[in-house]
Amino acid sequence: MLKVENLDKTFHTGAGDVHAVQNVSFEAKGGELVAILGASGSGKSTLLSLLGLLDAPDRGSIDIDGTQLANLDSAGRTQYRSRQVGFVFQQFNLIPNLNARENIKLALEFAHWPKADRNRRANELLEIVGLDESKAERRPAKLSGGEQQRVAIARAFAAQPQLILADEPTGSLDKATGQKIVELLREVATTQKATVLVVTHDEKIAKKADRRFEIEDGVLKEIR
Amino acid sequence: MRTVGVVAILAVAIALSISMLIARDAVTNKINTVRASTGNTITVSPKGFFGFSGGGTPLKESVVTGLLSIPHVTAVQESLNEELTSTKTSLKSPTPAGFLGGQFGFGSSSGAGSSSGFGGSSSSTTFSIPVRVIGTNSPGNAVVGGANGGGSEKLTSGAAYSPTSTADVAIVGSTLASTNKLKVGSTFTAWSAKITVMGIFNAGSTFTDSNVLMPLSTVQKLANASGDVTSATVTVNSLNNVASADKAIVKRLGSAADVTSTQATTEASLAPLNSVKTISTYTLIGSVIGAAIILLLSMLMIVRERRREVGVLKALGAPNRSIISQFIAESVTFTILGAIVGFVVGILISSPITSALVSASGGSSSSSGFVRRAGGAGFGAGGSGFTPPTGGFSNRGTGTFHFGGFSNTITQIHTSAGWSTLVFALLAAIVIAALGSTVAAATIVRIRPAEVLRSE
Repeated sequence: MLKVENLDKTFHTGAGDVHAVQNVSFEAKGGELVAILGASGSGKSTLLSLLGLLDAPDRGSIDIDGTQLANLDSAGRTQYRSRQVGFVFQQFNLIPNLNARENIKLALEFAHWPKADRNRRANELLEIVGLDESKAERRPAKLSGGEQQRVAIARAFAAQPQLILADEPTGSLDKATGQKIVELLREVATTQKATVLVVTHDEKIAKKADRRFEIEDGVLKEIR
Repeated sequence: MRTVGVVAILAVAIALSISMLIARDAVTNKINTVRASTGNTITVSPKGFFGFSGGGTPLKESVVTGLLSIPHVTAVQESLNEELTSTKTSLKSPTPAGFLGGQFGFGSSSGAGSSSGFGGSSSSTTFSIPVRVIGTNSPGNAVVGGANGGGSEKLTSGAAYSPTSTADVAIVGSTLASTNKLKVGSTFTAWSAKITVMGIFNAGSTFTDSNVLMPLSTVQKLANASGDVTSATVTVNSLNNVASADKAIVKRLGSAADVTSTQATTEASLAPLNSVKTISTYTLIGSVIGAAIILLLSMLMIVRERRREVGVLKALGAPNRSIISQFIAESVTFTILGAIVGFVVGILISSPITSALVSASGGSSSSSGFVRRAGGAGFGAGGSGFTPPTGGFSNRGTGTFHFGGFSNTITQIHTSAGWSTLVFALLAAIVIAALGSTVAAATIVRIRPAEVLRSE
């Protein structure tokens, strides 16, 4: 269960203050696919950074399954990122000198999974996202964009986090592949019982979500 | 490609470092060997006197014996060198005058301090080489080899006379004995006195084996040179005290004597090697610093290029130590690869570099002064303790330093890379690599992942 209350983030730039996130509050349940729609510069990526503790909010609170993220120290934040949250990026951001399986196992290593279980878990996830053994041994440069994003999704779900943050996960893919990726996210969210927040500017993608929000100038509103 | 470039640059720096390390070790070992082989003796002779040649006034035995009162001086061995012309002895010199003897006009010497030796008379067809007599209270190998510039003389028959002997006795060189058909117990005349042969020695040198050793007081009495000495070897208790004893002797004897120590001479001759040592030390430091800077800049470049990767790793929950460890592992790998190449190249070039440094430092040229001091005021020619001041006359090759009696050539430096040197160098390289990559990685792990991922 994700609970966000009164979240604020302002960037102080030479051109003045930019209120990227303003008084954002919402809740999301495990297994839910939530879409956040917004134009470029609306604050949607900043909101994901705050939820993933990649950046610190100026005000407000984030609670995951009863844990107040604001109370975490540096080590606690690192542990949160490795175990309780998974990221899916628009540019995939796989480690280039590791193959698909090793990229997934790396996330498991950071989450302190037992070494003996990492290979089994990586193979399980590769099967879930539809990549066979031959693809598992390939480095990112030898995979298509859709295949890379599948690896990224597998990596995000690897440590069984409660929250998946997907920032424009279909932005670098063609429409057909993008549709498949969103369906995959939804499927995995259901099977893994994780809350999935997908940031997108594509209405068609957003329509596949259980709930939809729109963000404009940092202000979040649910679309009914 | 970039990795290959970094490894290649590191290999060059490591090769230079290892070659300088080897050169420095080789030179240091040589210096230590030379110092260890240096005797702790000081030679004293009348000012301007050299062997049986030159002028000057003989030193007084009482003055020389008084040197024993100088701190750290443990022994003083005096000798009086005289020449017996054919009118003063029944002995026949075994050495023919030859062209050189005739040219220099040997034969008119009448004793220490009054020699008219070199160029003192016009060449003569009746000229003959005089027989040389050394008056010493310490007959035997030490006296002949040490005080008089000889080699390793050994008694082949008979016995040496007592150090306190005042008798008309002698031990003679094997060549002289052979020429004059002398055996132990034979007699000959010198300064009209009848001298009995007590022993015969051999030094392997015609010059040395043509000489006569007699008790000092006997020579002083017969040559009418009471209390005179022409050479003294002062022994100091430790190499560390030679310099101070040398100074004290010079102060005591003033301008009356030439005082030379093997240590002072050795240090003077070691100056080029010390220069090489200094150069190799500074070059070593410079190349190590250079390698460290190359590594640091390379790692800074690498980590900056991989900012996004660092941001992703942090987003995935990688602790800072894990990210830093990864960069350390990479730089250590680069360094080990560079070290493997650098060690091979460094070992191969260390010998020519060392030779070039020694040559460039002037190590093969200025031997003047050193040789005379090292050989001591001896016979003046031919003995194994003597090498002429200019390399051209040396019978042991030209253009190199020689140690009289030590059989040691300074410029013959053997370079070798011991395991300890290589292990030390490898560990140093790894430590530098680890530090450099830690500094580089530490500058990047502080970034907030959101900044990197936002700017992608």
